[in-house]
Amino acid sequence: MAVSAWHWPEALRWRRRLRHWWLGRLPVCESWTLTQRNIYIMPTPAGWAFAATLLLLLIGSINYQLNLGYALTFLLAGSALASMHMTHASLRGLRLHVRAPSPTFCGEGVRLEVVLTNPGATRHGLSLGPATWDAVGELAWAEVPARAQTSVHLSLAAPQRGYQLLPFLHLESRFPFGLFRAWTVWRPLGGAWVYPRPERPSPPLPAHPHDNPSGAQRRHVTGSEFEGVRPWRRGDSLRHIVWKKVARSGELVSRDTPATVQPQRWLDWQDTQLRDPEARLSRLAAWVLVCAAEERPFGLRLPGRELPCSGGAPQRQAALQALAEWQP
Amino acid sequence: MSWFSSPSRMPRDMRDTLFLLAVIAWTLVPHAAWLSPSLSGLCAVVLVWRALLAWTQRPLPGRWALLGVLVAGTAIVWWEQKTLFGRDAGVTLLVLLMTLKTLELRARRDAMVVFFLGFFLILTQFFYSQSLIVTVGMTLAVWGWLTALSLAHMPAGYPSLWQAGRLAGWAALIGTPVMVALFVLFPRIGPLWAMPNDQGVTGLSDEMGLGDITQLAQDRSIAARLRFPEGAPPREPLYLRGPVLTHYDGQRWLTLPQAAPLTTWVPPPGTTPVRYEITLEPLRLALLPLPEHTLQRPEGLPLQGDWPSHPDRWGQWRLPAPAAQRFRLRGEAWPRFVQLEPLSPLWHRTFTATPSKRHPRTRAWADALAQRPDLQGASASQRAQALLTHIRTGGYGYTLSPGALGPDPVDTFWLDQRRGFCEHYAASVTLILRMMGVPARIVTGYLGTDPQPVDGYYIVRQSNAHAWVEYWEQGHGWIRLDPTAAVAPNRVETGQALSPAPTAMDRMMGTWYTDWLLQSRLWFEILDNRWNQWILGYGALQQNDLLQHLGWEGDTLLGLAQILLGLVCASALGGALWAWWDGRRRTPWERLRTLILDRLQQLDVAAQPHHSPAQLADLLAARHGSTAQELVAHFLALEQLRYAQGSDSTASASTPSVALRAWQRQFMDAARRLRAQTL
Repeated sequence: MAVSAWHWPEALRWRRRLRHWWLGRLPVCESWTLTQRNIYIMPTPAGWAFAATLLLLLIGSINYQLNLGYALTFLLAGSALASMHMTHASLRGLRLHVRAPSPTFCGEGVRLEVVLTNPGATRHGLSLGPATWDAVGELAWAEVPARAQTSVHLSLAAPQRGYQLLPFLHLESRFPFGLFRAWTVWRPLGGAWVYPRPERPSPPLPAHPHDNPSGAQRRHVTGSEFEGVRPWRRGDSLRHIVWKKVARSGELVSRDTPATVQPQRWLDWQDTQLRDPEARLSRLAAWVLVCAAEERPFGLRLPGRELPCSGGAPQRQAALQALAEWQP
Repeated sequence: MSWFSSPSRMPRDMRDTLFLLAVIAWTLVPHAAWLSPSLSGLCAVVLVWRALLAWTQRPLPGRWALLGVLVAGTAIVWWEQKTLFGRDAGVTLLVLLMTLKTLELRARRDAMVVFFLGFFLILTQFFYSQSLIVTVGMTLAVWGWLTALSLAHMPAGYPSLWQAGRLAGWAALIGTPVMVALFVLFPRIGPLWAMPNDQGVTGLSDEMGLGDITQLAQDRSIAARLRFPEGAPPREPLYLRGPVLTHYDGQRWLTLPQAAPLTTWVPPPGTTPVRYEITLEPLRLALLPLPEHTLQRPEGLPLQGDWPSHPDRWGQWRLPAPAAQRFRLRGEAWPRFVQLEPLSPLWHRTFTATPSKRHPRTRAWADALAQRPDLQGASASQRAQALLTHIRTGGYGYTLSPGALGPDPVDTFWLDQRRGFCEHYAASVTLILRMMGVPARIVTGYLGTDPQPVDGYYIVRQSNAHAWVEYWEQGHGWIRLDPTAAVAPNRVETGQALSPAPTAMDRMMGTWYTDWLLQSRLWFEILDNRWNQWILGYGALQQNDLLQHLGWEGDTLLGLAQILLGLVCASALGGALWAWWDGRRRTPWERLRTLILDRLQQLDVAAQPHHSPAQLADLLAARHGSTAQELVAHFLALEQLRYAQGSDSTASASTPSVALRAWQRQFMDAARRLRAQTL
């Protein structure tokens, strides 16, 4: 996840280490129910300032012998105490789970949908955000009506390709008076695929010997009766389905026209003509996208890995995943 | 934006800002009663300006405009108060700051500053008034502030004011027991450091010129409340002794700055003291007006402070500093006490001193009286009686509005007009006694109470203010002489307050109006008295009483600390218990499931939490065959109980728990039997 650029002063290292250790203890789980055990609560800076105000009010009351001043001070103290319980209660009982995020490209944000389930009364002023090892990231505000669910969408930075584990999530409430901060940290199960950033503008596909129209693999057949017919495959366009045959046989069949019988195209690591492996991956990703957009089958050759030639969405996904997890 | 758009259609930001401004205005309005009009005006203008900015959604003014208003406001404060320090100037500045802060309300941190200032301003309001009405207003203000605070912490959506208000009210309501406990138990200690006292309060004064008490006669406000724990008030007229005026400069009577304390005193044999409880309203005097002849320090004075243990030699209860606070005291008065200390020649001279050039006609009259044959060589009492007889027979009258008395008020009053009230009589008689060589002085204070007790308390009003005379009789000490009694016996004997002449308005409205007024005033005063006694008068003495009532003997502070600690522990324990219970709270089904799984494990059936009763029945049959028939039937019955009722689970919410309990009993028996068979 996001690597923090924060440098802790030497004296505070132990704090970081402590937090590391503590966050590391958290279980990874599919859903997170907030109870007494995993909600933490502390006064906010405003809370401390309020305590100082109360002290001033008390001193004023003592000095001027104001019984109503005492009453005011104690009423505010009581309300603050009540607000502590209310702050805690605005988290207690909530259940969190995340929807599996859809894959993204490196540099685009991962859109994470966190579902808050509230079995009790309305919760106000919840803020949710990713918690990195060191700090709390951007927060999104939420309100959950009584006995309802609310989705909160978080945008997570995805600077690195690969299968990224979901970050620690931090849910916080300062409701109602902002004097206390109750929070929980959750380590959700699962992760998100982050594909290599495709090169923009997309480079032309590599000149390939098989692209030659006189290639052996090219079946040039004219005339409709000679057109081949093959079973429908995922990824075939609807335009290529032979509806007459479908009506007769009940099976989905595609026309094996020259357009679909395109030569197998190999996207090769070697063909990228770049030095930097990441740049190569970027170029390959861009080619994969071009091929997928043109609905032309392709194969992928990476050092130490080969993906057989195929077409359609599964191929696109497999290829991008292969690029994402490729390690030299 | 149209002026008529409803609040619900306002942008959230605007609505919240306007609400906050309303709360600020509500908090500041009572301050307008004592703030100068120019400053109140400035604050009002700034608040309205801010509201207009919010309404028209225009940007806030820049730093320079703000600075300009700040300088102008500070200049006004400086101009009016001649200082920026001290209580009044400080509170004025706070009001100003609060108003100006609204002009730069941007970030949440600014908002927090406004909130804390708001709570502070509510407290400062109590410097000026702790009345019931102000309290109700300030309670609403607290509610408003808490509402604004919670509104600020509901950043999402468009929560209604009522929603936020209810939440804030709920928090305050939960906090109320804490408030009550702390209010009752928090130890009342004296001021931590001395504060300059600049409160102006009407009441007795330590000097008197003729005509001063007239103002008090118009003042129906309460000076003190008296209660007699042992029953009815004493038969004798009840005199509350205030400043004793001994020095006369020809214009005004003054008190002695210092008098030695009364060192020796003996309660008169065969008499019993009158026990009383008095609640004294704040005075500007460094003196407590207590029932006459209170010889020992009353209970209830704050613990700190250099309080006298006895009255001074003239019977005054001098305090080290003016009593700006309300005192609730318990004491004893010895009505027949006579001070027998001899009067030294020096004091004798002091108490017979008269300015030689003033009041020539009265002096001539006094000389003539002293020369009367029957008064030649008479005692002080005989001379005093002769004066009283003269008042009774000389055509004197009692009036609160004697009119202008001319350049020499004593001569005019005593010889010509012969119409006046207590201070005229007291001043003239004292003067004439002195002119005849009898040591005499004026005592001021209060005489009498309202005829009917309110809530068991007799009310002494400022209009009960009175002045009387004391003269020295060799061998008998100081003797009280009330010349007003000779002309208006009602005033003295029944203790009725001075009342101003009825105005034209009173005559027009007739008696029903005054009756109604009196009645409603009585009710209000009952309420006010309860408020004063229970809330404002609650102090160290009352805490001590409470502890003794609870059976605590010993140090009050320690006791209060122990009770507080006990309460804290009890509530913490209660909270922990609740949390434990809340964590273990399960539905009856969940509890039953745990039990079933436990039993089935004993019967060697691999049951899982997600299995339905029917599945459990199958598992049982597979494991134990026909021996488990009874138990299988039970599980099928449970399946019926659980699911056959359809989706309507709420309607039969109470019956299943009963049925479940019965089922559970049968299930336990059957499981036990099966276990016995299989083992």
